[in-house]
Amino acid sequence: MSRPDLDDLDHQLIRILAQDARVSNRKIASDLGVNEGTVRGRIKRLQQEKLIAFTALTGLKLEKATNIAFIAVQADVGHVRQIARNIADIPLVKAVMITLGPFNIMATCLYDDLDDLHKLASGKVLEVEGVRHVETSLVVRTVKFSNRVVRITGAES
Amino acid sequence: MSEIFVFDDTDRKIVEQLRQNGRATNQQIAESLNLIASTVSTRIRRMEEAGMLRVVAVSDFAVHGYHVIIHVAVQVSGRPALDVAEDLAEFPEVFAAHLVTGSYQISLLLTLRDIDELPSLITDQLSKVPGIKSMTPAVGLDVVRYGLDTGPIDSRRLA
Repeated sequence: MSRPDLDDLDHQLIRILAQDARVSNRKIASDLGVNEGTVRGRIKRLQQEKLIAFTALTGLKLEKATNIAFIAVQADVGHVRQIARNIADIPLVKAVMITLGPFNIMATCLYDDLDDLHKLASGKVLEVEGVRHVETSLVVRTVKFSNRVVRITGAES
Repeated sequence: MSEIFVFDDTDRKIVEQLRQNGRATNQQIAESLNLIASTVSTRIRRMEEAGMLRVVAVSDFAVHGYHVIIHVAVQVSGRPALDVAEDLAEFPEVFAAHLVTGSYQISLLLTLRDIDELPSLITDQLSKVPGIKSMTPAVGLDVVRYGLDTGPIDSRRLA
């Protein structure tokens, strides 16, 4: 993973925009005592380098599927990248990470009811070519999580 | 906050525009949806006030110096899993902690600056939390998709 070169101004901008992305460049510029062009240029660079992304975070009620499950997958090691991409293309699969461990793909998905989840985990995911085994864990409570810090992959939602 | 909030079609369309560009002006959003700007600003404010919407910049793990991501499946014994998870959540390296059903009870996501931090974190710190029976790690090699913008809006803030 690359190590970005960020100065204090970049970090200040990120902090402000993490609270509210709809504040104007002019307001940010006057708050930080820099000119508007600098703010515009910095934001553009941070976006281009995929260090920040602007998005709308919504409560789970926006989607019909309001529960979270983790699906751990054992997949053919020779084709893990393609298999992970195919799993990522399944609707309601929200995050996919390739891992080194007892399972080589970890997927996070949203579901509405258990029937839905069964169709997703034992149906769609297990049907992906190269998937050998899945184990599903239902999230019953989130103790800690931040959706402000993410991996920006260019393939969001 | 306790009254039931319902997203209607106009709300959803506005959210869709904001997901594509959270910095779009009310005027730009209004034009693309054939609305007037004041409707857009009222709708956004209504969703924000109901705690159902935040338009924000999300930042990459790299911005915070997190270069290593590790998933740890924790099995618990002799102590309520929630207590164990709350103790684990106190560690700054624990980015996410979820209670789950299945072959393990706690799903942890660790974010580290360097893999060198792992040995002492595991053996000297996390392992000292009472009630942990086993920890099975999976080292993150690549994140293929990360689209977790729907979810609890105000869970414990990390950054």
